[in-house]
Amino acid sequence: MNPSLNQDQRAILDALDAMLRPWENAPVHDAPLFASDPALEKALAEAGFLEVAGDPDLGTVTAALLIERLARLPFAVEAAASVLVGPLLDDRGAGPLCLVDARRWRRPVRFLCEGARVVVLEDKRVSAFTASADQFRAEPNALFAYPVATLHGLPEVRKPLALNSTELRVRWQVGLAAECAGLLAGALASTVAHVSDRQQFGRPIATFQAIRHRLAEAQVRINGAYWLAMRAAADCDPGQAALAALYAAETARTCSYDFHQFLGAMGMTLEHPLHLWTYRLKLLTGELGGVAGHARSAADALWGPAPD
Amino acid sequence: MDFEWTEEESAFRERIRDFLGQNLPDDWERFAEHGPGSPVLTEFARQFCGRLADHNLLTPHWPVEIGGLGLDPWHQTILAEEMWAAGEPRGGQYMNVNWIGPTLMKYGSEEHKARYLPGITSGQDLWCQGFSEPGAGSDLASLRTRAEAVGDVYRINGQKVWTSYAGLAKTCFLLCRTGEDRKRGISILLVPMDTPGITVREIPSIIGRGDIHEVFFDDVVVSLSARLGEEGQAWEIIAYSLANERLGIPRYALARAALERAVAILGERGNFADPAVRIAAATVASLCEAARWTNYALIDRRAKGETVGAEASSARFATIKAERRVSEFIAEHLPEALADAHPFLKMHHQRGIVAGIAAGAAEVQLNIVASDVLQLPREPR
Repeated sequence: MNPSLNQDQRAILDALDAMLRPWENAPVHDAPLFASDPALEKALAEAGFLEVAGDPDLGTVTAALLIERLARLPFAVEAAASVLVGPLLDDRGAGPLCLVDARRWRRPVRFLCEGARVVVLEDKRVSAFTASADQFRAEPNALFAYPVATLHGLPEVRKPLALNSTELRVRWQVGLAAECAGLLAGALASTVAHVSDRQQFGRPIATFQAIRHRLAEAQVRINGAYWLAMRAAADCDPGQAALAALYAAETARTCSYDFHQFLGAMGMTLEHPLHLWTYRLKLLTGELGGVAGHARSAADALWGPAPD
Repeated sequence: MDFEWTEEESAFRERIRDFLGQNLPDDWERFAEHGPGSPVLTEFARQFCGRLADHNLLTPHWPVEIGGLGLDPWHQTILAEEMWAAGEPRGGQYMNVNWIGPTLMKYGSEEHKARYLPGITSGQDLWCQGFSEPGAGSDLASLRTRAEAVGDVYRINGQKVWTSYAGLAKTCFLLCRTGEDRKRGISILLVPMDTPGITVREIPSIIGRGDIHEVFFDDVVVSLSARLGEEGQAWEIIAYSLANERLGIPRYALARAALERAVAILGERGNFADPAVRIAAATVASLCEAARWTNYALIDRRAKGETVGAEASSARFATIKAERRVSEFIAEHLPEALADAHPFLKMHHQRGIVAGIAAGAAEVQLNIVASDVLQLPREPR
């Protein structure tokens, strides 16, 4: 047992940190619902960071570390699907990679745009298509802090992939857990900074126990979410992946409202960038059936499917 | 990051399982209802720990020169997980090997080490910790039991309460006031429990018979050499001890074992098809695993020689949550366990009820996390 970062992982995260410096701070001149920057996507791709999972020496834990680190940024960037699912596809294409759950295709899809490769999780198989402009509706007014679009439906013609449903579901859950862990860490840091500065009743509001205990509980849960995500990434075991996603989604649910609450009135405006993390969490939390969906897949994996 | 046990670590775990298979009585689960501090279990633990010691499995994580094998904190964790998952057959002696022994090694005089360590490494001695008082629970530094230096002795007067194992303990690890300063006025005395002037009364508890007590000190006299460390050093010493204690009890292992047992029982009788029950069980399992891995992250740092401070409180809080939710799951879905139908689950409930209370309340852990992990500005005093 040796859960600390190995030398390669340390080196990659150091290089990533150095590269990400221009994107550490939220945009201040405008107050967008979501922040994205094509320059960030380009820099990541050019540096080869999105190919770590395909490298047998680095593998899926390094991929999860990368996803977690990127999610701490205020900028939304498509990484989870590219890093974890991308290496399993033979025709990945050049655009963003989107994951769609066939049972829930009406949900807004992250990063869906013309030319995106859309991988569809079905009950018995996995299929894919490349999105054309007439297949979806962009949602510029969505509250989610990702660029999102909604499919008009699942196109009839989809290419069946060699990937099986369980494999895709597990990688989706691992990526989701790692991304939630990073988003939660970013949101927590942002909230901690605010409550430490903001004075009311003549003292920082962080000195009130009503806030301290809830933030401390958030720290405990977010730390757990990080470790469960990394553990699940290590062997992509279905039970571990479902537990990690379940725990992450539940943590996101319990923390997000608290964090906005602690910002007071700023928690309902766009003055503070907190929503750039929490309104990504709100979309992630419901993927694959949300907390209950992950819990059911965890129960099936740990204890066998429910008898009919 | 490597999340797999090495072959050697797995073999060590198997060795402990074999040992438990051979040395726990057939009716252990029913037997364990006596409670960890009961006379029956204390006597059983003495024999059991003696056999553990014979097999080098009582203090394998201690240094070789003090009766150990010098194994790393991972082995200590594996050992503790297996013991807790079985319901902790070491009884109160788990404290000895976790923190009393290591604290004596670090702060004890040569006389203390010679006098007390052999009784721990041979599995014969039981200790109690004289910490809480009627007016000093979470606010431990307000304790009032006083030790007055008179010539070459201390005279102790005062009262301790909610003291585990005091009825049968040989020695008390006693916190008492030797000066006026709130924290720097507190010292530690190692007090033989058969010293005249000590009176012990049992307090009936949910944990089981013989576990919780009040202890009175009326003009109890011990030599100055009974003091551990310097006068006024107690706060520093117990910070060290409690960091060991917080990481040393893998309650998540017992909680997960109890959950598995509950799921198996529900499955056998056809009550585990209900999606609501399955969702609840998986949610509870995720809390157990989160606790496990947050603890492992710190054990890893300890194994690499780092000091683990406030993060131990974060890991402990994760464990408390897991323990609580497993207990709630069982009370909700298998209430007959608390009425004796499933002794292992009843034992889990009784052992688990202390998780958020003993060794520093859950809320105190959150205070520590807020101030020292999140670095929030402190509350005004």
